[in-house]
Amino acid sequence: MESFEQELLELICTTCNLEMPEIQYFNTHAPLIGPESVLGIDSIDALEIAVTVQQTYGVRMDNENSSRDVLQSLATLSSYIQKNI
Amino acid sequence: MQPVDFTHSQSAHCESGVCSNLLTHKGLPMSEAMAFGMGGGLFFGYLPFIRLHNLPLVTYRAAAGGILKHFANAPGFTMHQKQFRDKEQAVAELDAALAQSIPVGLQTGVFWLPYFPRALRFHFNAHNLVVYGREGDDYLVSDPVFPTPVRCPVADMTRARFASGALAPKGKMYYFTQTPQTIDHHHFITEGIRFVCKLMIGSPFPLIGVKGIRFLAKRLEKWPHKLGKERADLHLGHVVRMQEEIGTGGGGFRFMYAAFLQESATLLQDPYLEQCAALFTQSGDTWRAFAASAARVCKDRPREEDTYQAMAATLRECAAKEEQVFSNLRTWLDDQQ
Repeated sequence: MESFEQELLELICTTCNLEMPEIQYFNTHAPLIGPESVLGIDSIDALEIAVTVQQTYGVRMDNENSSRDVLQSLATLSSYIQKNI
Repeated sequence: MQPVDFTHSQSAHCESGVCSNLLTHKGLPMSEAMAFGMGGGLFFGYLPFIRLHNLPLVTYRAAAGGILKHFANAPGFTMHQKQFRDKEQAVAELDAALAQSIPVGLQTGVFWLPYFPRALRFHFNAHNLVVYGREGDDYLVSDPVFPTPVRCPVADMTRARFASGALAPKGKMYYFTQTPQTIDHHHFITEGIRFVCKLMIGSPFPLIGVKGIRFLAKRLEKWPHKLGKERADLHLGHVVRMQEEIGTGGGGFRFMYAAFLQESATLLQDPYLEQCAALFTQSGDTWRAFAASAARVCKDRPREEDTYQAMAATLRECAAKEEQVFSNLRTWLDDQQ
């Protein structure tokens, strides 16, 4: 896992009040949101993550780049932020 | 039966997505945001006398079918629409249209569509999609909320077309029979904006438009006292769920409308619309801040600032911003005469 992905994972866990998973076993391409979410994150949590990402990195998830696509996995979120930061 | 050569594009919202895909297929390339804006898709309504799961209806967009209806009634467009009592007849007419290489829009009940993950199926009967072919017992489906086309067995699709309950589709199918060769962007953009302006700031009815947002704010700050914490949180969760899940996510209809204004500014080469787009994006951000605060309350992890009074204040801020944008747009419309 890249250091930026780890930073993001910590941010997500803090935002959603979740226990930090063991990094070495965490699949960054696994679904982040929804019924198959590895962290058990739902769409209401996703909203908070979108707001936190915007506040922390100044990167917006809007209609053009729907949060649904961006929040597919930790890897897609990380790549989106790094591209738009 | 040879499938129609239909280009599938994923969209945030089913109706504007289907509209955009059908118009693009007819040679009128149009983004989802443009279909949403030209179709007068933006709205706000807080209608406590209509109950959804025993909770007051809050809506952030035009009534289901409103966008398509807008285009169907526009000069140069005609749309064939039909509902059915008989399932076999509904299947036969859909197949007949497909045999003529016509991609057909359908209104369906999400709960009965097997390609939706089970956890995401819920009883919503105004989900739009396009069927563009049939192979054996499967329809080829362009469902705009999915990234790629999907397949659906005929029996399941028929069940979804005849789902019962609120907004029952009754087998509804539709397709454009006539479209103009080109779109008069100026006409459609101004008419779309005029329609939304009227609803958002021109209606005397206190439950819709910016008045409706203020009405909701007034009700919302009283909920803990009036309903108790548990019911108040339930009501709050419902407001956010309607904002975030039924549609585009994250105050998304506001962002989509801002994208429409932005695209219109480029098409009409009018920087004033670009300013309006920027202001409306700010409104989307404020809605999103409201929703994030409400989400923390519902998830039982509120911050100190997450109070019902503060959330009501944020809603009033949304109302003020939207009032400002639509007043500006009304002035812009007057200048277009």
